[in-house]
Amino acid sequence: MIKVEEIKMSAEETGKWGMLIDQDLCTGCQACVAACAMENNISFVGEEDAGYGRTMHWIRIERFWEGEYPEVKMTPNQPMMCQQCGAAPCEPVCPAFATVHSQAEQLNLQVYNRCVGTRYCANNCPYQVRSFNWRDYERPEPLPNQLNPDVTVRRRGVMEKCTFCIQRIHKAQDKAKSEGREVADGEFTTACAQACPANAITFGRVDDPESLVSQLAKKHGHGVKHHEELGTLPSVTYLKGG
Amino acid sequence: MTDKFSRRDFLKLAGVGAATTAILTGCGPASRYVKREPYMEMPEYAYNGQSTYYATTCRECAAGCGLVVRTSQGRAIKTEGNANHPLNLGKTCARGQATLHGLYNPDRVQEPQGGGKPMDWDAAIQVVADALKNNQPGEIAFLLGTTSDHLFDLVSDLAAQTGINPPVRFGALSMFESRATLAKAAENLFGQAGMPFFDVGGAKAVLSFGANFLETWLSPISYTRGFAGLREALTKMRGKLIQFEARMSATAAKADEWIPLRPGTETLVALAIGRLALEKRGGPLPRAFADIDPMDAASKSGVEIETLERYAEMVVAGGALAIPGGAALGQTSGLALAEAVLALNAVADNLGKEGGMFLSPLAPNQAEYQRSASVKEMQEFTQKLASGKIKVLFVHGVNPVFELPAALEFKKALDGVEQVISFATFPDETAQAADYVFPDHHALESWGYQRVTTGSNQSALSGSQPVVSPYYNTRSTIDVLIAAAQLAGEKFAGALPFKDEVEFIQSKVAPLMNEAGGFFSAADLPAFMAYFQQYGGWWTNYDARVIPNAADTLNRNLKVVEAEFAGEGEFFFIPFVSPTLAEAGANKPWLQELPDPTTTVMWNTWVEINPATAHELGVEDDDVIQIVSEAGTVEAPAYLYPAIRPDTIAIPFGQGHTAYGRYAAGRGVNPADLLGQRFNEAGDLAFAGMKVNIKKTGRKRPLSRLESVMGVYGKGLGEEH
Amino acid sequence: MFKRLFDWLKQPLGLIAVGIVLLAAVSFAAYGVWLTQQAPEQPVQFPHNLHVGFGIQCLYCHPGAAKGPAAGIPSQEKCWACHNQIAKTETSLLLAPLKQAVLIGKPLQWVPVAQVPDFVQFNHRAHIAAGQNCENCHGDMSKQTVAENPQVFNMGFCLNCHKQVAGEDQAKLVKLTDCGTCHY
Repeated sequence: MIKVEEIKMSAEETGKWGMLIDQDLCTGCQACVAACAMENNISFVGEEDAGYGRTMHWIRIERFWEGEYPEVKMTPNQPMMCQQCGAAPCEPVCPAFATVHSQAEQLNLQVYNRCVGTRYCANNCPYQVRSFNWRDYERPEPLPNQLNPDVTVRRRGVMEKCTFCIQRIHKAQDKAKSEGREVADGEFTTACAQACPANAITFGRVDDPESLVSQLAKKHGHGVKHHEELGTLPSVTYLKGG
Repeated sequence: MTDKFSRRDFLKLAGVGAATTAILTGCGPASRYVKREPYMEMPEYAYNGQSTYYATTCRECAAGCGLVVRTSQGRAIKTEGNANHPLNLGKTCARGQATLHGLYNPDRVQEPQGGGKPMDWDAAIQVVADALKNNQPGEIAFLLGTTSDHLFDLVSDLAAQTGINPPVRFGALSMFESRATLAKAAENLFGQAGMPFFDVGGAKAVLSFGANFLETWLSPISYTRGFAGLREALTKMRGKLIQFEARMSATAAKADEWIPLRPGTETLVALAIGRLALEKRGGPLPRAFADIDPMDAASKSGVEIETLERYAEMVVAGGALAIPGGAALGQTSGLALAEAVLALNAVADNLGKEGGMFLSPLAPNQAEYQRSASVKEMQEFTQKLASGKIKVLFVHGVNPVFELPAALEFKKALDGVEQVISFATFPDETAQAADYVFPDHHALESWGYQRVTTGSNQSALSGSQPVVSPYYNTRSTIDVLIAAAQLAGEKFAGALPFKDEVEFIQSKVAPLMNEAGGFFSAADLPAFMAYFQQYGGWWTNYDARVIPNAADTLNRNLKVVEAEFAGEGEFFFIPFVSPTLAEAGANKPWLQELPDPTTTVMWNTWVEINPATAHELGVEDDDVIQIVSEAGTVEAPAYLYPAIRPDTIAIPFGQGHTAYGRYAAGRGVNPADLLGQRFNEAGDLAFAGMKVNIKKTGRKRPLSRLESVMGVYGKGLGEEH
Repeated sequence: MFKRLFDWLKQPLGLIAVGIVLLAAVSFAAYGVWLTQQAPEQPVQFPHNLHVGFGIQCLYCHPGAAKGPAAGIPSQEKCWACHNQIAKTETSLLLAPLKQAVLIGKPLQWVPVAQVPDFVQFNHRAHIAAGQNCENCHGDMSKQTVAENPQVFNMGFCLNCHKQVAGEDQAKLVKLTDCGTCHY
């Protein structure tokens, strides 16, 4: 019998997978949002539900306004997705253990078959990055032909969120293992990072100082983690730029 | 059974029983009743459950980015950029990603249709053959879109040999990009027509006069990559972006300085900066900048003279790149602006240097620069249609009924054509107005090639191949034309001596085999074509950009003009292409659900209006307002946009379809309904050259926006504002 | 209305009627449950035992198992490669559907038997590479004709094995019992 232990990263640890987002480069073009939707079988909800804030985007681009015309400025575009916290606020509140921490990959998991739809996790997420399937959103034939067979198609009443493209992580690991080697840095990346025309998103192993994501973070040196004060230990670092 | 216990009650009970059964069986592995069909003959390289990847070309816009499409069990699953491709280097935009929602769109034209009834392909080919045979060559015309260059080449060859009208090409994006103006300005200043290419990545600063190069302009992926290079702060100074435009576009939102000058004064500002720079540098003042008075420019544009001086210093310091584009070119003064900006680059000593301006290389199998028709040329074409001189019109890859200004009355002009034959993949407005629709394959089911017009240092021809077999009973337009030509008599059969589309493409690509400096080479044609498909095209290994000849650039007179605005309205009107939908994205549900980068509105059209102006007029967010131009009227909800001049309103282009499938039809409004028929000197439409009035309607229509969840100005979640 | 129905139900005949209806519902449901446990009908009553008996390896027909996530069903081409050399193919009633399918060029429609739910991402390759034999999950095919599922593929079945395989190796145990290993 395995004991269910509370898995939390200590503040000294770095986690395993991480992302670096250069807001100075992000143009807000939404390529990542579309790429994510296509890779992860995300439903579109239609105009009305979108108006109620029920869109299923796993990644969204935030922007705010500062000042008034003519001195008005848009804050740098801020791609926001699950921050894969080391000590995630969503995890302890799930009564069904559907929102659990992966010890193997150091990610926050959403186990769809366990989820009963309490939405506690979404309420407790300081980043507001979880989306809930309020309905079985229609995907008329033949649109389902496009669905990615590596990702579960979620149904009504289930919470979902960014997985750091865990299916790609597994695929790369599986391939590397079958060839008897380790996964190389840059061998694969997440759908958003792969699409980004400005290369604003870099994904990789943050526990490997030689990886591109670690190197870039070191070179830029002024990365910010959102809501760090809450002790969530997020895996995504933002370069504010400008 | 008693009479009290009726049959109906029994049925109800039986229903409960059946439902119980259904629920209980549902607990079992219901998916076991799925049927699986194995391959008839499994391709050697395929394993069940393993993906196959094919290189092809994106046709969501004319840029010609290379794609690698992941397929699984014969279905296209995901598009990625082709990392080898010199234009996009493995990257894609949102529209490229959503191209799969076009392929598997539930509203595609599924079979040939005539008079609203299904036909078979033999009958369809006979219709095309009869149309070619029974009309004089001069009475046959082709209207083609900006993608599918191989089709354009085929029809051009056909026209040259049979005397039918040469094909006309058009696309809404090329209208909003003012391609004719850019080419004309290059011709006037450098004696050489071509598409200017701006090396944003190498520049130290960019002065953009309305160019929305991070959205849909010319080649958004390569310009976005350039922008990333401009911002690169690790190895060099972080480059600055300065954007002159009346409305803050998504590009301007990334700018370090946004200068909301008075619309129509862009030319004056560009010339003033040039003159101030020349004065600072000293020496004789060239003729080009002799007529401009910087103080006058400053007062007319509303930009302070100190600001202009500062930019002039940037030009003197070197590495400042000026780009004309967007609404600034879509004015009566568009050509003057384009010339002024290109001349400003000459002043900045940018021509042919890293971080400067070039002319784009011609594509490998291209003899001279070609561009799509300007709206002026489309106006002439429309008049020709209306006059009845054209008996048969073939339309492919373009939707002029939707895209052209309503004032041109293209739809009405179609009445003057006896037979309109559309090759549309989707049931768009033009296909609806056609007598026959003979659907072409979707881009991902098609062979073809696309010339990379701009955005790549290398000369590139991007290749297409089918990544999946056709889903519906569609047929390649070229195959239809080849088959019809065989039936249409010797003249046509002789002009298209090909077995099929692939043979035609090979005949066009084969000469590249012997060219030196290619990305790959091969000993024979089959091997060459195999590489062509595998790599997704052919391109040179070397930088093929053309250095403009600037010998006479500054010795000619440049016009000092302000734009003229049509109409008596109170507001400048700026239509802009939706950064997410562009010209043809409205039928793809995921593109509809992408929030606009600046307003975060989804699934609809909005009118951007300055909050102060709106307050004066008593207009609130989501109030439906009526926009009246001299050419038409539209109604759409207001969006109080903090970053637009108080005397300007803006509407995105992309929505307002009356057809085009369930996700597009009946959604939003089309700003083309407001556009008139004023042109700049190069023949491009002065789409931003109008003044309009607005009226309240008293109605409200809430817009779906992402920000109402996130809050604006840091307000709370879901809060009304 | 309801009172009258209730009164009617309380009389002996009514009770009997209620009894009959209940019985019918229960037996209907039981039938439904039974139905889920039956091997579905296949286009060809494929005798696995015979083929295994000839010494044909599982991976000959299902090579995907060693290469990727899905084992796959062999293409008709593969069946036919052997069968068109076997005289019995011409006469056997059992093989008639195969012959017909090949002749008219339409794929046979097989009904998969060993299935996991959609929310489970199963990968054959990793299991074969870890030295698991096909029969550990699919049963002894030398004793089956049409494939049947010897056990329900529920999470207990998977986890039991994963834990056994991991043994004392903590890193392996973490990986093999991680939710994200199968569910995403």
